[in-house]
Amino acid sequence: MTSLLRPKLSGGNSNRRSALPSREALYWIAPACAVIIFIFGYSIVNLITQSLRYDGDWVGFENFSIVISDPLFLVALRHNLFLLSAVPILVLIAFILAITLFETRRGMRFYRSAVFLPYILPIPVVAVIFGQIYQLNGVLNTFLSSIGLDFLIQDWLGDPDIALGTMGSVIIWKEVGFGVILMLAHLISLPTETYEAAKLDGAGFWRTHFVITRPAIKTTLIFYAVIESITMVSWVFNYVYVMSNGLGGPGNATMVSELYIYRMAFQNNAPELAAAASVFLFAITLILLVAFFKIQRRSISKTFRS
Amino acid sequence: MKKNTARKLPIAATLRYTLLSFMAFMALAPVYVMVSGSFKTQKQFLDSPLSPPSGFNLGGYKSAWSDSFPTWLLNSFLIVTFSVILTLALASLAAWGFARFPFKGKESLLAIIVSLMVVPPVVLLIPLFKLGVTLSLISTLQIVVFIYMALMLPFSIYMLTNYFKSIPESIIESASIDGASTFQIFRIIVLPLSGAPIATLAVVNLLWAWNELLLALVFLQSNEKKTLMVGLTGFQSRYSLDIPTVMAGMSLATLPLVVAYLFGQRYFISGLTAGSTKGE
Amino acid sequence: MKLNKSAIVYSAVIALLLTACSSSSEDSASDSFPTEDLTLNISWWGEQEAPGAQKWLEESIALYQEKHPNVTINHTLQTTDGLLPAFEAAAAAQAGPDIQYFWGAIYSQQPGWDGHIAPISDYLSKDELSNYINAEVESGFQGKIWTAPWYVNPSFPLLVRKDILAANGLAVPSTWDDLMKVCDVLSAKKITTLAGGVKDGWFGGWIYSVLGGQSLDSQADVIDAVVGNSKFTDPKHAKWWSKLEESRDRKCWNNDINSLELYQAQQRFVDGKAAMTFTAGPDAPNFVKKAGGDEKVTIIAMPAWTDGPLAGKMGTTSHTFGITKWSKYPQVAADFIKFTHTTERLNAWYATTGSMPADSRFDVSQVTSASTKALFESALDGAPYIESFIPAQLDADAIFKNVQLLLAGKVNATQAAADTQAIMERLRISDRKLVENFTAWSK
Repeated sequence: MTSLLRPKLSGGNSNRRSALPSREALYWIAPACAVIIFIFGYSIVNLITQSLRYDGDWVGFENFSIVISDPLFLVALRHNLFLLSAVPILVLIAFILAITLFETRRGMRFYRSAVFLPYILPIPVVAVIFGQIYQLNGVLNTFLSSIGLDFLIQDWLGDPDIALGTMGSVIIWKEVGFGVILMLAHLISLPTETYEAAKLDGAGFWRTHFVITRPAIKTTLIFYAVIESITMVSWVFNYVYVMSNGLGGPGNATMVSELYIYRMAFQNNAPELAAAASVFLFAITLILLVAFFKIQRRSISKTFRS
Repeated sequence: MKKNTARKLPIAATLRYTLLSFMAFMALAPVYVMVSGSFKTQKQFLDSPLSPPSGFNLGGYKSAWSDSFPTWLLNSFLIVTFSVILTLALASLAAWGFARFPFKGKESLLAIIVSLMVVPPVVLLIPLFKLGVTLSLISTLQIVVFIYMALMLPFSIYMLTNYFKSIPESIIESASIDGASTFQIFRIIVLPLSGAPIATLAVVNLLWAWNELLLALVFLQSNEKKTLMVGLTGFQSRYSLDIPTVMAGMSLATLPLVVAYLFGQRYFISGLTAGSTKGE
Repeated sequence: MKLNKSAIVYSAVIALLLTACSSSSEDSASDSFPTEDLTLNISWWGEQEAPGAQKWLEESIALYQEKHPNVTINHTLQTTDGLLPAFEAAAAAQAGPDIQYFWGAIYSQQPGWDGHIAPISDYLSKDELSNYINAEVESGFQGKIWTAPWYVNPSFPLLVRKDILAANGLAVPSTWDDLMKVCDVLSAKKITTLAGGVKDGWFGGWIYSVLGGQSLDSQADVIDAVVGNSKFTDPKHAKWWSKLEESRDRKCWNNDINSLELYQAQQRFVDGKAAMTFTAGPDAPNFVKKAGGDEKVTIIAMPAWTDGPLAGKMGTTSHTFGITKWSKYPQVAADFIKFTHTTERLNAWYATTGSMPADSRFDVSQVTSASTKALFESALDGAPYIESFIPAQLDADAIFKNVQLLLAGKVNATQAAADTQAIMERLRISDRKLVENFTAWSK
């Protein structure tokens, strides 16, 4: 799994293989590429042409200027950004859980399965359950008041100031298990000597793991952070759609770019504006991607220098 | 694998177990609310959502199942099976092509494929919908399978390519000397070695396809073609006054995944482990 | 890993080639009643508010198929949140249902403006349509009528539990001030006066109609504000927000109004946990029954807070059936719709759902319950249902949103009105045909 982040470094034996006919590669790659090109290539080109038209006529960048001047679209993007900022928290929680599980022998399997369970639950299921739990007169508040924590009671999904945070907590709840499993798998594969030395030096739990473990599984941490960043920008539709009845409410509190696009296309009958918004979103993800490759290359070269 | 807790301070252990128990509680409590809720009556749920059900009231399951549930389940099952199997087949072929053969522009092509991982599916929604209309494929399972394949392929190809590259050259070498063709090497040597990463990908893709809502919501308009996720979303609004039925439906939708996970757990975890050790 | 230029160009070229797709068109069918085997699809909504509608529809289909053995009719019941997206998707596909259900006014107009439906007046005579309640005022457009009213939605009746009021020494309120006093008394005793749920938005539109409609002279006022001849911040259009604010401050609503869906909140009323609620007109008689009958519950219009011509009146809107542009058998679809307006079918509708068919030929004297009879009569003499005269997007983006925010205490009446006006101004930019369409509609 860690190798995912180092494509360039792993193909070291290309000398021997250059003797193979390169044309044969085509037969192997073609079927998959055909599917990819058909779906992505067609969509992206079609999307761009559609974003430049209105009612069949060529309108230049009119759709783009309408979308970018729409406060709602900007709010939606800001909310994606907010969710993106939850990624470090998510990685940290997963990391702490992974090292704790790693240090645990008895009951490890049970805890591992328990923590992983949310990840396999269908998102609509998660959204519906939490919709019930977070109601003002729902499970969570009933629980809080029964243990005397009345001051913590909130209208979790009904208060526009905290609804997005609540939504973020649900996403973290669901996604954390994936990170734990990834990191745990990497931890188990590490040579034990590293730790023995640290232990002999008398390093404590946190010091051991933050000084030794963290860099050792850095690639997995980055990989997980990237996957979750993609989730926060491109895959939160399911949560928001189900938990806010497709509205992104209360107010605009949980409007995200995907829902904006969906509503433009299928509720407001403005596919050309949806297309323009999609082009923006696509451009943003590309920028994120390029930024990621830059950071990644730097971090990998650093890892190897030290 | 040897564990490295040399100093087993009781305080540290207590802290660890406290943390783990807390997290396990956090993870399991909502699931408990769902499962216990499915056996309650509406009134019991509203009065005491946290207490265990007083009996096994199966009314929720009955009304959930008698809705279009079996149809949705079958649709989800078909879509997931076909899209995951086809994805794995195409991805492993392509990954072998990338890993085994040098060709001009290989790295760039791979880079483009990887970059597609970040394309938000919602971006594809409108063009693909129009395409589906042109080809009269709206409300067919085929188009959804096809789109899911395209969305799952980039990650799958990338992961398998890196895994295949890590297979020691010597193993492949010896087979080549025996006169095996590239396909034979792929089938007889590479695939059997790759059980773990393929199983991992199967699980990851299966979870993704099973849970996908946006595309299914748009492309599967007729009730007979809906997937479980689409059906459940409507289900929630239809039974908003009947929480046990909603919870029963949710429990039923979760069950196949829990079963799949319990069976696949070993492969899944060993697959990830193998991926990270061999990938180094 | 760097993105190679030639690879990008290469994939772009392939993608370009793929886009060169062709499209096809279809010829329209002939005009006489077809004799070949054919299938009609109906996509509808309504069981949620008029329980029994599905039974009635299936009966009607069976009877019609008996009369016309070559016709097969299928129907799909949509969810509340899914109704519009499903139709938009079908319209984008130019394929799907032959008969589509619509809510009244703007929801029946917009598909016509977008070219998704054929006017029903092309297939049914003026005489026939003149009996359909609200057809002209809601579905009429420049001499045409887009869709055929199916059943009437008296909107929105306020259901009042006389028993709860009496137990607290209160009478059924007849003015806004009475209502506020009821709120004061009941909230002091921790009883919810008005049960509502705005999480799914719809109820916000209802509130707008029952409060915001009171200060208007007619639906033309709203269309004026939509096209820009007046503003949603003008007192005429904005005053109701301060009434809503007042009701919030007097603690009329349940405290969890923002985390409940509409139907969940109405259940509070049925369970006896709230003194009043609003329901959909067709469902009101059922609610009366569920909550204990005419002795315990009465149905009134929202008490008036002003003295405009529409204040204190119930609104009326009709839910309709339209024939889609892509239907191959529009005349069969129209014939089926006409069939549902035969006396036997009208009576069956009332018998099955307890609500009022949208046809003036329906004999109201067969209604026995006093509250139901009053409800039907108020709908015949109802005010226009103003929520249905603003663009649907304004409804969702401005009204739903600001009702949620105001009830959550995040904005005040002035801010809500200003935001509504701002969103309206944006809509006139982003929906480039809106002004033109609404202007044409008002003529």
